[in-house]
Amino acid sequence: MSRPQFALMLRRLSLAAVLTVGVVVLWPERKAAVAGTEAKAQSGEYKYVLRMSVGQNYLPGSVPAGIGEPLQGVTQVVAAFEARYPDTKVEIVTVPIEREFLVTQLSGGAAPDIVSVNVEDVWVDAQKQWYVPLDRFLERPNPFVVAKGDPAAPGARQWWDMFTYQAITRGKAAPDGNNYCISLDMVETGIFYNRTFFAQHGLRPPESWGEFIALLRRVKELGRTPLLTNIDCLADWGTDLIFDQFYRELMPGLDLKKDDPVRAAYLQGYMDPEEISFLHRQGYFTRRDPRFVEVWRKLGELRPFLTKDINTQDLTREFVTQQAVMLWNGSWFVYRLAGDQQLGFDWGVFYLPPMLPADSPYASGLPMCVIGGVATQLEVTNSALSDTDPALPFAERIARSGRLRRAVELLQFMCLPENTGRIVNEYPALIPNIVGVPVHPQLDPFVEILKRRYTTTKWAYTFDLRFTDILKRILHLYLTGAIDLDEFMRWQEDNVTTATENFLQRTQTDLAPLQQEWDRLAPLRAGWRDVPPPPSR
Amino acid sequence: MLICTSALTLLPFVFVLNSALRDNFEYNRTFFGAPESLTGLARVGWRYVTADARPLSIRTESGEVLAATRERAAAHYWAKLTAGSRRAWVVLRPYVLNSFVVSGLTALGVAALGSGTAYLLARYRFLGRNFIFGFILATMVFPGVLTLVPSFLLVKQLGLLNTYWAMVLPYVAGGQVFAIFVFRSFFSGLPEELFESARLDGAGHWGLYWNIVLPLSKPVFSVVIIMNILGTWNNFLWPFIVNTDDRHQVVASGLYTMARSGVALSSSTMYSAYVLSSIPLLLMFVYATKPFIRGMTSGAVKL
Amino acid sequence: MKPPDLSPSRLRFAASCHALLLPSVLLLLTFIYLPVVWAFLKSLYEFEVGSPARFVGFANYLEYLVNDPPTWPSVFNMFLLTAVGVFVRLSFPLIVAKLIHSLPYERTRYLYRIAFLVPIVVPGVAVQLLWSRMIYADYGLLNEFLRVVGMDGWTHSWLNDPQTALVALMCFGFPFAGGFEVLIYYAGLSAIPESVNEAAALEGCTGVSKFLRIDVPLVLSQLKLILVLTVIGGIQGFEGILVLTQGGPGFETMVPGLWMYYNAFSFQRMGYACAIGVLLFVAILGLTLLNLRYFRSAEEVQGGAT
Repeated sequence: MSRPQFALMLRRLSLAAVLTVGVVVLWPERKAAVAGTEAKAQSGEYKYVLRMSVGQNYLPGSVPAGIGEPLQGVTQVVAAFEARYPDTKVEIVTVPIEREFLVTQLSGGAAPDIVSVNVEDVWVDAQKQWYVPLDRFLERPNPFVVAKGDPAAPGARQWWDMFTYQAITRGKAAPDGNNYCISLDMVETGIFYNRTFFAQHGLRPPESWGEFIALLRRVKELGRTPLLTNIDCLADWGTDLIFDQFYRELMPGLDLKKDDPVRAAYLQGYMDPEEISFLHRQGYFTRRDPRFVEVWRKLGELRPFLTKDINTQDLTREFVTQQAVMLWNGSWFVYRLAGDQQLGFDWGVFYLPPMLPADSPYASGLPMCVIGGVATQLEVTNSALSDTDPALPFAERIARSGRLRRAVELLQFMCLPENTGRIVNEYPALIPNIVGVPVHPQLDPFVEILKRRYTTTKWAYTFDLRFTDILKRILHLYLTGAIDLDEFMRWQEDNVTTATENFLQRTQTDLAPLQQEWDRLAPLRAGWRDVPPPPSR
Repeated sequence: MLICTSALTLLPFVFVLNSALRDNFEYNRTFFGAPESLTGLARVGWRYVTADARPLSIRTESGEVLAATRERAAAHYWAKLTAGSRRAWVVLRPYVLNSFVVSGLTALGVAALGSGTAYLLARYRFLGRNFIFGFILATMVFPGVLTLVPSFLLVKQLGLLNTYWAMVLPYVAGGQVFAIFVFRSFFSGLPEELFESARLDGAGHWGLYWNIVLPLSKPVFSVVIIMNILGTWNNFLWPFIVNTDDRHQVVASGLYTMARSGVALSSSTMYSAYVLSSIPLLLMFVYATKPFIRGMTSGAVKL
Repeated sequence: MKPPDLSPSRLRFAASCHALLLPSVLLLLTFIYLPVVWAFLKSLYEFEVGSPARFVGFANYLEYLVNDPPTWPSVFNMFLLTAVGVFVRLSFPLIVAKLIHSLPYERTRYLYRIAFLVPIVVPGVAVQLLWSRMIYADYGLLNEFLRVVGMDGWTHSWLNDPQTALVALMCFGFPFAGGFEVLIYYAGLSAIPESVNEAAALEGCTGVSKFLRIDVPLVLSQLKLILVLTVIGGIQGFEGILVLTQGGPGFETMVPGLWMYYNAFSFQRMGYACAIGVLLFVAILGLTLLNLRYFRSAEEVQGGAT
């Protein structure tokens, strides 16, 4: 046999081998799996095939932070549910759903029956009837608690009672008063710090904003990156915290919308988009509003102490390699640190300190509020109504749909303490929101932080996503020093103006009641200094 | 100079491979470095070579450092080495199969439809021929993003969401344009004498296509098919949108979602997924480079 | 030019031809033309998915061209990035192809060809992540290199610094040789008849001057193909920017395609996004017609020469 012939034969043989290996590796298991589920679904063995996306934190099969075994809490709970309802099959959507794509799917009625998105995003789309309000279910008993026979157990009277953090949970009600989400867990942010480094250099957690800045400066002098965070955190958390410091005291004179009593009791005058829009027309949240400018000036004080790359999603490396000393992150980061056996330093968590009058003329001295709260937010979508006639009124469809009832039952089942425990406590990252579920001890600092007062408003979730996108972009430019405070404020004022006008036009809000309330509260505002001058019309 | 350039070009590839073998903690400390699993295996191997049976110290996942026999240490490092790919493969496996189906059907469709259409356009003169060719070529200038939303609504209207057809049909529709373009310029270049003599031998239209054109154009087919498979294999946006569940998700969209899920937090899993997902294409190139290059040299791929 | 032949037999023949073309044409009509027409119509509406559309005429176009702050910077970025893209895709891969082609042994040539093809199989997202996290990152290769050679002052957060982000994007993919271009040029170089090379050698035309005077003109048709594809890709493409910088910081690296994507899928302004898309379409159409006109004449010149 000549050499080229031999080479050709070798080539063909290897190709055949590769193909065989490919077929063997890919073929049998997959075929069995597909054949199994489809055959059952087609033979009509299942009355309901529900699809659920549980969100990133509990994605079955994923390995958070690459530590430990793949997650399976949700899978176990779902299996128990299916055992109880043999006519129901629950498919877990193991891809996280991004809002962009969810929108296309919702508009086509092709979304999963249960999804996990920030409920503030849901509010924006509530009037499109894409999501099902859950109040009527929350106000009734949870059938699974009732079935256990203890009439005093939380949930036996109404489902609502099962949640530990009532204020925050109820505060997730949409401005229309309806509740769209069920939340199994809580998250809060805090500043993780390298305790070993602090001890070595005689540093301690700050008591005031001034001390905080001094601390950051000191760390920088010691040659380390003081604070790791990214633009998403700063635009979202940073903005709201400082805003709250300056405006909370003014709320009695600015809170123009009387919420429904339940929501008001918990949210204490949370500022909704229509209130912000009205106030903006009165000159607030503009360049002429000294407090608003002060918010960004104070945020800008962090500028020299941040990482150069404030767009990064990859905060971990510099902290664990001790190039950076503090890191602003959510409680999920605990798991990452606790699981790292080679860390080589001790760490702790503190919360942002308040601004004192010495730090800023507008400081109230109140402790910093919290901005986190509900972590995984589960909503029921219009897909759950797919067994009803779309021509019927929405309320009628909700009343009639058996599929919806089954989807809600799944959520009620998940809220049982043993089930929530299995899902949320599979690894220490989030704080369970169901009464009777223990909290992982490593999360204790965050339980403390969660006891604080809730924020006045959440700017990043107030208006449309365009507003938030532009806010992030210009804040990025401002914090990298590409534009100064003046130019930033020009952009920001334009941004707020565009967003409020869009909002008012889209929702056709009637501002007359707000105007009345505004006039009524005028005496309260009488002695205020440094308020924006009323606009000249 | 060539060595430098190719080294730079291959760097991403090496990096991905290297990261696939390192666990999360190694990756989090340094971006580049020899994988602990490999150095560990080398140490164990050296013990075997030198017939040294003393125990080795290894660090378990829970952080304990303990002395282990050679067998135990070897198993430990082997598990570390393959952890990423084992985890990635569980997720990736169905996606790979779907990708094979989608890319395969598309390539077949594009090759069959494209060559047939191009043959007609290249070798026959009939009324409206130029119009049709213009009609086809014009689609090259439509921005893909422009039609993303309407296409989604259309596919939904046709009831094709969550099927292979939702990907295959639009892919064939779009992919055939480039194929027609390449085939046509190749077919036009075939000498007329070939066809004359075959016609004299009594060959019909179909016979000409089957017996004369096809045998001559294998290299062009390989170009069209390879380019097409590359395109469909790597397209993530469209499959991601038209697959609202997992069953028909393909590799590219699967990777995209993996990168955004909890899986991404584990670097070795993610990079192993990249490596595993590249293997089919890599094999395709190893086996198809020769005809591919011959096809490229045939002069059809130009303007 | 002779008038078309309208005899019944010719018509019947044309009809059967068209019948055979029907599958191709139908697919195009359904999956490409229909969505395009739909998009054009929707560009005249204020239209949010799930809400009733409101007819606004050309207001979307007006807003984009006159009132939206990112518009003109992003158009500038698009042209700049496209121009740079055209330059690097025409030059670097061609030089590499020439170098490979002039290697003496077929085996080494083959190995290099494979080496330059391998990067194609690495998913684009992986390459982009690699660049953003390894090369351009704060503690990435580029900065570490600068620190090693003592140029600490030159370190940047390359993709996040408004001064460097756009340049960093341009350099993404250096040395721009991993891909098809090399192979396409290589094919072109292989197609040069041996007689031409011999004639050149006889006249003492070697090295750089041969490359410029003989090789480049003879691979012109390949260069044109890459040119057209790069221009179309440059105007349409945004996925890389989406992963690398999201068009930021601020709007420093925004391009119209990406802004359209944000408007459609993030901001839910479908009508507005469609209007941007239609404008992009017009731009591509214009440039391509320009290209084609130029190519037509070039082909005729070639045809005339032979």
